[in-house]
Amino acid sequence: MTDQINDQISAFIDNELSADESALLMRRFERDTEARARAMRYTLIGSSLRGELLEPHPSVLRQRISAALSGNAPPSAPRAREPWNDRWARPLLGLGIAATVAIVAIGTLRSLNEASLPAGNVVTSGGLPLTVSSDPAYVVPQATDPSGVGAPIRLTNYLMHHGEFASGLTRTSVNSNVLGGAIEPAAVSDAAVSNAKPIPVAGEGLE
Amino acid sequence: MRNALPAAVPSLFVFALLSSQASAQQAHDWLDRMNRAVEELNYRGTFVHVLDGTPETLHIVHRNADGQSGERILSLDGASREIVRQGARVQGIFPDRRLVLFETRRDVSPLATALPSDTAELAPHYSIELGGSERVANRAVQVLEIKPRDEFRYGYMLWLDQETAMPLKSHLVDEQGKVVEEILFTDIEFPADIPAAALEPTIDTAGFTMQRAADAKPLDASIPWRAAILPGGFKLSIATESRIAGSDTPVGHLVYSDGLATVSVFIEDPATEAEVGEGFSTMGSTNVYSLTLSSGQKATAIGEVPRQTVRTIASSLVAQ
Repeated sequence: MTDQINDQISAFIDNELSADESALLMRRFERDTEARARAMRYTLIGSSLRGELLEPHPSVLRQRISAALSGNAPPSAPRAREPWNDRWARPLLGLGIAATVAIVAIGTLRSLNEASLPAGNVVTSGGLPLTVSSDPAYVVPQATDPSGVGAPIRLTNYLMHHGEFASGLTRTSVNSNVLGGAIEPAAVSDAAVSNAKPIPVAGEGLE
Repeated sequence: MRNALPAAVPSLFVFALLSSQASAQQAHDWLDRMNRAVEELNYRGTFVHVLDGTPETLHIVHRNADGQSGERILSLDGASREIVRQGARVQGIFPDRRLVLFETRRDVSPLATALPSDTAELAPHYSIELGGSERVANRAVQVLEIKPRDEFRYGYMLWLDQETAMPLKSHLVDEQGKVVEEILFTDIEFPADIPAAALEPTIDTAGFTMQRAADAKPLDASIPWRAAILPGGFKLSIATESRIAGSDTPVGHLVYSDGLATVSVFIEDPATEAEVGEGFSTMGSTNVYSLTLSSGQKATAIGEVPRQTVRTIASSLVAQ
């Protein structure tokens, strides 16, 4: 996807496209699932960075699409365009969040921008024109394994059970690891792990 | 005057000792408040989970009403996975696999996951110190530093909300002092009420594979396996059978905890568990070690602890 389309999508979400430009982009959304998916992602990211994302409903995108489909002009005149990255970074300045938050958030944005969606992505609830007033639409990649199970799901089972017994200190961490879900054979051998020996415990019982 | 200084030394020592004990108790109180806040408060917000410099954004809703807590966490990046927990029922929704896992945990006492009530139980294994005051997500926070005293557990840096004790930022720190994982809220709110509907899954699962645990075979109340060698402070808190989604046979589940860190051990017949390879693997900040027991069963130890800890526990399992 080119920078020009990226710029158009983010300008559309920010209400910075003219009516004619919005109509053109609408036609592209109808035939380009990747562009639709990207628009959804940008909306979620922007809402998150602005601290608006208390519910994951892409209402901003829906409003913009509804307005474009109904032929209504945007409520305000298009603003002068800004460089793409500046526009997304700007809300951070107003949040008063620590610099580390900004770095992490921009890192998130960059990694998402660089990620390319696999071919065949679909929006679960179908084409955007039909979904503007229905349930939230999410990008659901097609299963790579028709059986739906695939590679070691058992570790995910285990981790979900483990999380139920984690303390408040680590519960969020465990759940995040389930959702991140990268099961990676660790690049270490037994020999590379510390051989420190704990004190043997005999006959411990339930506490 | 000449004799006054020697006479004051014991008093100064006692004063310093009492101050130290009071500070340790204060730090422990913060930890206890935090543990309860995570479970008992209503909250919703967005946080960033950073592993090896790679961030992932997640949205969380936590509701506590009518004596039952529930939680929904949605990954906003990548495949938009979601976990929904309502009481003892948990479902994991994985759109990238078009799969939903339904898990149910057996009723266990909340004390099983509670922090030790006495600072003396943690003191041999961790030093817990109060730090300064800072701001995170535009809220005032109290910094708390937890340092392990050996290499069998990780350390933690916590930034706790001054008002609620909710952890708004946390670092998991390994034996070399490296930050293994960071969790950072970018926004959070604490509503008095959160509607039950807020815990409903938001991902459309039409056409997904639904995996539930078979409940044909009754669960055994206990399992014979125990770790013969444990790092100091780790104690057995749960030994039971659990049902696993997608499996007809219950698995043995042991839970060991040192009061802060938790290690689970799952024991399963090899015929039903062929997916987990032997040796080390990781899931985010969670370390995993699997091996085959003398009985031929597969044992897998999992925890947010260093690798040597999961290996030590799994390798020392013996049947009683």
